[in-house]
Amino acid sequence: MCAQCGGPVAAELDLFGALGMPRRLVIEPAELEQRYHDLGRRIHPDRFASGAPAVKEASLKGTALLTRAYRVLRDPVSRGLYWLELNGEKLSDDNKQVPPELAALVFEVQEQLAELREASEPTASESLAAAIREWRGTVQEAMDRARDALAMNFAKWDEGRAEPNSLIAELKKTLSEIAYLRTLLRDIDRELEPPSLSG
Amino acid sequence: MAYSSKVMSHYTNPRNVGSFGKDEAGVGTGIVGAPECGDVMKLQLKISDEGVIEDARFKTFGCGSAIASSSYVTELVKGKKIEEALAIKNSLIVQELNLPPVKIHCSVLAEDAIKAAISDWQKRKGEKGSNKKEEAA
Repeated sequence: MCAQCGGPVAAELDLFGALGMPRRLVIEPAELEQRYHDLGRRIHPDRFASGAPAVKEASLKGTALLTRAYRVLRDPVSRGLYWLELNGEKLSDDNKQVPPELAALVFEVQEQLAELREASEPTASESLAAAIREWRGTVQEAMDRARDALAMNFAKWDEGRAEPNSLIAELKKTLSEIAYLRTLLRDIDRELEPPSLSG
Repeated sequence: MAYSSKVMSHYTNPRNVGSFGKDEAGVGTGIVGAPECGDVMKLQLKISDEGVIEDARFKTFGCGSAIASSSYVTELVKGKKIEEALAIKNSLIVQELNLPPVKIHCSVLAEDAIKAAISDWQKRKGEKGSNKKEEAA
């Protein structure tokens, strides 16, 4: 649905287009919020409750598209993955080798998590948990670095300072590192959470 | 998803689990990871000066197929020359374990682990005898 005239728009609009934004990787969160809410109000199904069926349907579809666009573009990681998709690329198409030092970090932490799961002595599990909490900091630092690298590459692309193929390779590398670290953080937090009362 | 009987056999009764000392003579260590599923695999090979793989150990944190792939690989490489081990393709692992398409990346990981462990061994060997000429890869 067109925000200006209320008429239906082409179904093939990409998610940047759905929010009326250029296909740029750097997005100001406040601008994204504002566009999402403004457009959302304008095409809200309540406004077309008495409209023709085609208009009602367009309003529903437009609202769904807008919501999806907002969710995907809000998070830099999902935005980066979507941008790769628009460029006909997928993470899984790539060689998924991660840097050796990252694999070593993941292995080290997973080994400690396994030890914690198997520990029966309360004092042993307490000291293991303390060690893992420290590791969590290291993992979070690696995550922060990867996110900074992602933001830097986004800016590089927007400013036309990046050669497309090498940027795509760089984005894939960073995005898969982030995915790996995210899984690891989730595994750590799952182990460190106090056991639920029902458990 | 149901695992094949061969995967189950390696998963419930993994072969050669454990580790060698990282700095032990003749040991090459390869740690590789698969970001999309969070798996991580450590493969260690004990290799003679003549380049024959005498023993292997693994430790894998991941799904049944990843564990089975690494367990199978430890059996497969024992007694092989490093050139033969380097020639092992993931398709062989897929075939042997009947891995479904969504688990092919587990076999790729195991193939990568062999290469990483051998390259670590070569690196360590090179450092030890740094006065010797480097062997052509």
